Amino acid sequence: MDDDVATTDTVAEVDATFRTLRRVAVGYFVVFVLGVAAFPVLSLTLDWWSQARLLGGMSPGFLVAAFGLYVFFAVLGLAAARLSSAVEHRMLGDTPATDDDLFLDDGRAP
Amino acid sequence: MTGAGAAGLVVALAAVATVAVVMRPRGASTVDFYLAGRRVGVVTNSWAICGDYFSAASFLGVAAAVYATGLDGAWYAVGFAAGFVPVLLFVAAPLRRFGEFSIPDFLGRRLGSERVRLVAVGVVQLIILTYLVPQTVGSGITWELLVGDGVLGMSAYATGVVASTAVVATLVAFGGMRGTTWAQAVQFLLLLGALVWLAATVVGAGFHYGDAVQHISTVPLEAPGADGALEPEQSALHPDRPAVFGEPGATYGGLGQLALIVTLAMGTAGLPHVMNRYFTAPTGAAARTTTVWVLCLAGLFYSLAVMVGTAARELIPGAVDDNPWLADLTVDGVLLVPEHALPVLGRLFGGEAGLGVVAAGALVAVMSTVAGLLLAAATSWGHDVYERHLNPRATQRQAVLAGRVTTLVTACAAAGLGLLMRPDTMVGATPSVVATMVTWAFAVAGSALTPVFVLAIWWQRTTATGAVWGMAVGAVVSVGMFTAGAVSSGGLLHDVLVTPTLVAAPLAASVTVLVSRRTTPPPDVERSWLIMHGTAADRRAERLARLVVAEDRRRREVRRARR
Repeated sequence: MDDDVATTDTVAEVDATFRTLRRVAVGYFVVFVLGVAAFPVLSLTLDWWSQARLLGGMSPGFLVAAFGLYVFFAVLGLAAARLSSAVEHRMLGDTPATDDDLFLDDGRAP
Repeated sequence: MTGAGAAGLVVALAAVATVAVVMRPRGASTVDFYLAGRRVGVVTNSWAICGDYFSAASFLGVAAAVYATGLDGAWYAVGFAAGFVPVLLFVAAPLRRFGEFSIPDFLGRRLGSERVRLVAVGVVQLIILTYLVPQTVGSGITWELLVGDGVLGMSAYATGVVASTAVVATLVAFGGMRGTTWAQAVQFLLLLGALVWLAATVVGAGFHYGDAVQHISTVPLEAPGADGALEPEQSALHPDRPAVFGEPGATYGGLGQLALIVTLAMGTAGLPHVMNRYFTAPTGAAARTTTVWVLCLAGLFYSLAVMVGTAARELIPGAVDDNPWLADLTVDGVLLVPEHALPVLGRLFGGEAGLGVVAAGALVAVMSTVAGLLLAAATSWGHDVYERHLNPRATQRQAVLAGRVTTLVTACAAAGLGLLMRPDTMVGATPSVVATMVTWAFAVAGSALTPVFVLAIWWQRTTATGAVWGMAVGAVVSVGMFTAGAVSSGGLLHDVLVTPTLVAAPLAASVTVLVSRRTTPPPDVERSWLIMHGTAADRRAERLARLVVAEDRRRREVRRARR
């Protein structure tokens, strides 16, 4: 990679990236909502979820609330962040800069 | 508290104060005061966000809620941790790339409207006040339990409220965002250290987590009633059974669990003190990576908080006979105030020094969050109102002074409200007074700000008028619902009323969309999209940083060659 600081994005590139990232975000959000909503559904419908004893006497429901959901959030977040960054890396940054569309230091157009 | 405990507390607070003073902003620019010069690294920022976010509700409140209601209390922990998933997916990177000072600033510039900015300032101030009050209540509770005495004629509770608020307000007014960032990072490490110490100590003393859950789930959950005697709790999920520790239903039915998590998760993306931290990241990519770190740290923190809450329920009843001082705090082995769970556990397993460690953790949790909230208040008053409207020709020095003055005024208001709220009058009505009060702030944030915020980032057609209506509807509906919930009796309706985001947020989003469709979006949406969703600024920042590093290396080599 060169050290040219005069880098910019085109409207078409950004629009395509935005649409892809929106799909990624909504997709992961749906997984997140389903994961969280599954807990009360299982509590209401499956006695085993609250009554069974697994590791050290905890029920599956307690294990998930005490540990499992945090792991789920972290893994989901890591996967979403990596995918989003990869999408941006692939879809943006190829256009050579022109004098007309340089950006200021804070990212705004002049 | 004995000398050892007090010494530990003083050392912890002195360390935080020293960091804030040493790292104070050197210049008088607003970017330094409000945004720490936009140079905060990923790890430091993630620690600072955690310091900002893990408040008295997280440290004392989550353990208290688990202590009082078992698995239902763990929903506070899950909801607080879940909040950063939507932040990561929808907010972190675009928000930083747009690069303003505050949420009102972002909305005002994105939608090209000063009216939006001022309405957002009003909503932000409402959120900040509703968040500040439970923090001051938490500091009052902690002081009351640990020190037990007041000064200057004030009660112990009032002394805790006034002393902690005064110290934090002074540090923030002096240190600005730069000093506060490092102070909050250190505060988070102290907070996490206190929790890890407590967890390790109880495990070292023979506490078995799984066995404890199984053991305390064999008897119905009981809590002190209005007449002071213990009363069994009925399961909200299965009305024919009593509530037990290890099963859901002690407080919330199925819909109630979901409503609580949605309220807490949606609220995080609208919390001004947390979102403001994203503006301090150097790039959008760094803001996103920071959020992944926060998710991991939050998982560690809250899983420990749930564990020590369980340990308190298991271990305190058996300790009453050998520890006469517990008699005043308990009824038949059950704590009168659930927020005492961690301090009592600290004293049981670490003596007065252990109490000092937990006290330091609790006060540090309060102070770090209060610091973030005061800074957010200073930013929205000082920058969005004073600089933009009251004195547009203000010098940098005047703008920073305005921020410092508003910090002190907001602190006084929060302390005043904290003094009016007596937590002992609310115990019994909620699983944890502090955690419940914080939920109100999350409800307003998640209902009034988050829907508008996300639409402004992801929907080009969002207009200023739509945003104003969306924020107004979200705020009015959420405040109206949880006020109605406070006076309603239990049941499904009560669950939804006290955690209103499940209803209020879709309503606010729908109103924003409907009104936006009938009004004209700002003319420069395309430019906003290039800034928010493009990575040109990130690439420029990274390449400039690389050039600076290479230049520094070259200079060092030249100096070495000359020697």
